[in-house]
Amino acid sequence: MSLLELQGLTKRYGGIVAVNDVTMAVEEGEVRAVIGPNGAGKTSLFHLITGVVKPTVGEIHFGGHRVSAMPAFGRCQLGMSRTFQITALFPEMSARENTRLAAQARDPKRWLPLGGGGVFAEAARRGDAALERLGLTHVAERPAGLLSHGDQRLLEVAMALAQQPRLLLMDEPTQGLSVEETAQAVDVLAGLFAGGGLTVLLVEHDMEVVFRLATKMTVLHRGTVIADGDPDSVKADPVVQDAYLGGYA
Amino acid sequence: MRMLLAVALLLALLPFGLPPYAMTLLTEALIMGLFAMSLDLMVGYARLISFGHAAAYGLGAYTCGNILLHTDIPLPFAVLLAGLFSGIVAIGVAWVCTQATGVSFSMLTLAFAQLLYAVAFKWTPVTGASDGLAGIPRSPGPFGVTWFATKSGFYYLTMACLIGGFLFARALVRSPFGAVLRGIRENEAKTLSLGYNTRLYKIAVVAASYMLGGLAGALYAPFAGFANTELLFWLLSGQVLIMVIVGGTGTLVGPILGAVFFLFVQQQLSTYTDSWALFFGVIFIGFVLFAPEGILGLARRWTRAH
Amino acid sequence: MDVSAFLVTQSLNALSQAALLFFLGCGLTLIFGIMRIVNFAHGAFFMLGAYVGWSAVGLTGSFWAALLFAPILVGGFGAAFEMGLLRRLYGRDGHAFLMVTFGLTLIMGEAIRLIWGVNALQVEIPKLLSGIVFILDEPFPIYRLFLAGAGIVVAIGIWQFLERTRLGLLIRATSQNAEMVHALGTDVRLVRSAVFGIGCGLAGIGGVLAAPMVTASLGMAPNAVIDTFVIVIIGGMGSFLGSMIGAVLVAFVQVFGSYFFPDFAMSFMYLIMATILVFRPGGLLGKEA
Repeated sequence: MSLLELQGLTKRYGGIVAVNDVTMAVEEGEVRAVIGPNGAGKTSLFHLITGVVKPTVGEIHFGGHRVSAMPAFGRCQLGMSRTFQITALFPEMSARENTRLAAQARDPKRWLPLGGGGVFAEAARRGDAALERLGLTHVAERPAGLLSHGDQRLLEVAMALAQQPRLLLMDEPTQGLSVEETAQAVDVLAGLFAGGGLTVLLVEHDMEVVFRLATKMTVLHRGTVIADGDPDSVKADPVVQDAYLGGYA
Repeated sequence: MRMLLAVALLLALLPFGLPPYAMTLLTEALIMGLFAMSLDLMVGYARLISFGHAAAYGLGAYTCGNILLHTDIPLPFAVLLAGLFSGIVAIGVAWVCTQATGVSFSMLTLAFAQLLYAVAFKWTPVTGASDGLAGIPRSPGPFGVTWFATKSGFYYLTMACLIGGFLFARALVRSPFGAVLRGIRENEAKTLSLGYNTRLYKIAVVAASYMLGGLAGALYAPFAGFANTELLFWLLSGQVLIMVIVGGTGTLVGPILGAVFFLFVQQQLSTYTDSWALFFGVIFIGFVLFAPEGILGLARRWTRAH
Repeated sequence: MDVSAFLVTQSLNALSQAALLFFLGCGLTLIFGIMRIVNFAHGAFFMLGAYVGWSAVGLTGSFWAALLFAPILVGGFGAAFEMGLLRRLYGRDGHAFLMVTFGLTLIMGEAIRLIWGVNALQVEIPKLLSGIVFILDEPFPIYRLFLAGAGIVVAIGIWQFLERTRLGLLIRATSQNAEMVHALGTDVRLVRSAVFGIGCGLAGIGGVLAAPMVTASLGMAPNAVIDTFVIVIIGGMGSFLGSMIGAVLVAFVQVFGSYFFPDFAMSFMYLIMATILVFRPGGLLGKEA
């Protein structure tokens, strides 16, 4: 069984069909990119998976659990961690506190109202490890709101990693970054994914980023899946070329 | 910790050097301090701006008043029970109010307090309607100890509640639970997406806040000897919010100072003019405009500059 | 009394009440729509309207002159307050406005007490509108009929103003997207001041009109502000139509509730609000939760 399975997923807003009968899966260990032109339904699909919106029709299974109607925080507790299209952090907390709070969310005693030294120590340990992996240790004590755009992006990834997720969901990881910042961020992410052990689903419109990071691709067009497979085979697919890639490949 | 001990010692010694009327004022200031600090749990740590915190105070006061009037439960236990009751009611209130966020949340808390106010006007057997509950006794403590009924005994009871409440609140905000509250304050959507059921945390902090606020109200009933609808009125909710803002939000100590400051200035102004509320409005607007970090923040800024 | 006569007169009664609430609610909701701020002092402006109205009647001897001057004065004061103080707060958290306007409420309450004293002041109903008419053989005060009519006229007037005039267009546009309006070369700050003034002026009209019925008194402000919040929250913050629906709903609940269940009339209003918010957190016609 795949880690994440979507079966016949459809989302309608009034008369508009944003996602239309999507069936796809994410296997353990792969880095899958969902691509498609603007309005293809990428963001809606992402919202369906993370639990921001509920599907009109269809089922979502994650790690063997049916999560179609589960609220967002419940899915996180099962091991989904996400990053946002527009960086979402706790700006007045230090980078360390950001990752610590993220790691704390995975502790069964995360809600302890008194004491909690042990919870904090364990969360800080995991958080620091995540900062280290993304090369952010040198800015750990700085307030998150004062970091550079690129570092803020990476900090958000570090927060997700600190949760030791079974599935890492990334919504346009290079959105809003300058050309240099994008290149740097992609280098860091590529190194991270090359280390193995992570399962990633990312939504991205920048093709260069996608071809550098993804091991699998799903192509959406007008809410429907039109291709699915290795980057090379997708690139060569005439349907995809016709609908989307244009002269790129 | 050393600071806390010093303050506790100072508070404990004050009754020996103060005239009776000052003791009364000080006791009232400590009660108000506890009340303001309880609101800070919501306002300062989870950015839940309640405009109806009088509900907690009134609930505590009426509950304690009824216990003392109709049962033999010793005074300290009556006070604690009333605080606990207020906290339990808060769970229901918070469940409704946290449906909304931001300004709508504020208005819902106000509406709930006004609802209680309206009920208190009509529920004569329990609230005495517009006359209120009068002659609330300071019944003897456990084992027939009558010391709590004395002026200084009651002062020490109040002091113990304030210090106990402060230690509880401080432990709460420094715990993992408190860290999540801070997350909610800075970015609720992100906190939710990390896997925290933020609504439960908000309901819990409202309950804790109402419990301490109810404790303050519960102390007020035997302190003043009466409880009336004024204790549920929106004006009190507004005043306590002023104390929190003027004192400095998210500090616990600040709001206590804010309450003391408020009562002191009110006392001073009211000897010169009936229109103390006018000056209060001006002072309050001044703080919001020029010193949103409050008295405590000003003090810190000043110490850093010198 | 026969049932239909009862229903008709009580409904008219409720409509007159709704008119007063609407003057308050639509001002508050207009201000919120444009500035995303909640004016806690709205009840105080309402109260100021009643007191200024009383003085204006005393000076000119004419209720109609008071109805003209008081709102202008109250609205002008509101606009001045916006320009002097609120303007410094844009960009701050929404609660900063709530607090500053709360402070203003305290100040205005005291100032009014100092100027006009603590006693409630009676404003005479103008001769033209005093007395009663018989509706289905039931006596009904003409003044209440006038109030209901005034509410409908003003509602249509504001609606036309928002739809037809240039300022109305700017107001609607600003509430949609302030930055865009600013970029197109309009001084958004002026629009804001104007709206704040208009909103306060509407509260002032409400105050003058309410004065003959309830007298001008210091208790007016808190009661008014809370009722106003209730209707605006029920209708949906920022929705003009919503404030109208909210006002009518609350007025009917108040009037019929206090007839059938006098002990619970006040509680009903809050229960309805809480119920609506549980199912529609943004209010009946509100956009956001």
